[in-house]
Amino acid sequence: MVEFLAAQQFLVGAVLVWAGVFKVTSSSVPLVARRSALRRLVGAERVTGAFRALGAVELVLAALLLMPPSHPVEPILAAGAFAGMLAYLVYVRRVAPDSSCGCLGESTVPVRWRAFARAGLLLAASALAAFADSIMTPVVAAVLLVELSVVAALSPELDRYWLVPLRRARVRVSHPLAGTPDTVPLASTVDQLRASDVFKANERALRSDLLDTWDEGEWRILAYTATGGTAVFAVPLHRFAPEEIRLAVVPSEPISV
Amino acid sequence: MTPNSDPRAPATGETSWFCCGNAWGPCDTAGHGACGTCNSGSRHCAWPNTSDACYAITRPDKCGEDLLRRTCGHTFYVRNLCRTTEIAVKITDCGPQTDLWCGEKSCCSGKCATNRILDLTPAAYSAIGNLSSGVMPIAMRS
Amino acid sequence: MPAELDPLGRRRFLTAAVLGTTATVAGATVLGSIGPEAVADPATPIDPDAPDPNFAEGRITGIDGTLLLVTGSDGVFHRIQVTNATSVWKLRPTVFGDAKLGDGLYARGVRLADGVLAADAVWLNIVNMTVHITAMARDRMYLDHHGHRVVGHVVSGTTAAVYNSTPAVADLSLLRVGQHARVIGAWRPDTNEVDVATVYASAA
Repeated sequence: MVEFLAAQQFLVGAVLVWAGVFKVTSSSVPLVARRSALRRLVGAERVTGAFRALGAVELVLAALLLMPPSHPVEPILAAGAFAGMLAYLVYVRRVAPDSSCGCLGESTVPVRWRAFARAGLLLAASALAAFADSIMTPVVAAVLLVELSVVAALSPELDRYWLVPLRRARVRVSHPLAGTPDTVPLASTVDQLRASDVFKANERALRSDLLDTWDEGEWRILAYTATGGTAVFAVPLHRFAPEEIRLAVVPSEPISV
Repeated sequence: MTPNSDPRAPATGETSWFCCGNAWGPCDTAGHGACGTCNSGSRHCAWPNTSDACYAITRPDKCGEDLLRRTCGHTFYVRNLCRTTEIAVKITDCGPQTDLWCGEKSCCSGKCATNRILDLTPAAYSAIGNLSSGVMPIAMRS
Repeated sequence: MPAELDPLGRRRFLTAAVLGTTATVAGATVLGSIGPEAVADPATPIDPDAPDPNFAEGRITGIDGTLLLVTGSDGVFHRIQVTNATSVWKLRPTVFGDAKLGDGLYARGVRLADGVLAADAVWLNIVNMTVHITAMARDRMYLDHHGHRVVGHVVSGTTAAVYNSTPAVADLSLLRVGQHARVIGAWRPDTNEVDVATVYASAA
């Protein structure tokens, strides 16, 4: 239990270092800041500066937590910071639900449950850190490693380093969407039709989207409602030969409703 | 869209459609866009260079596009590259994110346009094309 | 065209008209007969600030014969007349009978004097989403749409992919986890699921 408590200060300090270094040094901060909900809070003009300042505060807090001498007020300060973070996340969800958090790195993922879980975890860790000194032992290191893994799993900013590659590797081994039937998609036939001169010459008379389509041997038939009738195109099904496309116009039948 | 010095000169590019304002389905959280007035049922559009903040997200320059700053309320005249019907559309949002689609091309009857430089509302898009097509080559002017 | 033909008979009739396999087709004309010069310009000036009168958006709240009763997302009520000349899209070109209560809808046509929209085209549940592909399974892909999770169902024989602007193909094996894509699909009403019609992606 003592080891568990002792690990919390390192955890909180490490996360603050990560957040602070990113905000102070990263060249992508102006873009991340503009995409974040902080922009709504402080304005577009000041958001980059506010981001940098926030990073500096996080680094100072991290230094207090990680460097001796340790004082019980340090984790309490950190807990206050994470309580503020939770309040900010609530604000984001209310006023800019599609904005990203901008908390720990570059991510366009909006604030969702993972951001709340991460901030809650760090708030709890900060509170627990007040009850123990930060002493590094192998057990403490192991606890810290597990907790850092949890924080990483809760961080969309890191998905591209582990989750996406993991899923990509799985897809590489066996692509779940391979083995689709050997058919000519309708979109391909419509593209070929659009590429043709006969379509260009008559497109302006077409009033509807595709009315009906069916295959007839080597041809795919596409019917559209045109001014004064039905325009029927026959498009080669298995070849790209827009110059061979045929058109017939069948005068309107009485409209039935 | 080719850079040119005359902002009134016609240019070509690619467009898609997007929903905004009150909406159903996955669109229902779209909101009224960067200008606060965007509606799917009106002939509105999104332009990648409505402000510095907008430009920082859409980054058309990464695709070699030198798009002029046009702010909320500006009117473009847009037509399907292979049709003559031209419609007026008003800027009400920032978008599309041009840099996601650098080099994307769509064609009709041998005429092609490259790079997604405009998004239209369903009302605007369906006036010059079919919604079931995801992208359409266009010519546009101010 | 004989009005009494059933759908299959109608298809046979139109096939014969365009492929010329029969000499009995009456009234069929070919190439050039509907040139632009023969058609009135449909582009009447529309104020971009106002709702487009020839367009409707909303959800189907009633079906009365071939009249769709639609409540717009902005609360405006629309009556939309569908005829046998109206194209209906619901994942693919389909027939009016596939329209169901609760379906989302976009429609374009001509607004008549009595306020009815005579529809040229109706698109049911159509969505156009810029997404990231976050995962894939055997018959579906998981999509991130502005932070919202959407399940995209692959429909065998219908779902197509367009890679780097090349012609659409049925082969989806070049899609990758983590890449961005644009999805045209049909929303399954009141869920976070869509059936995918076309996915536009890069193959790099």
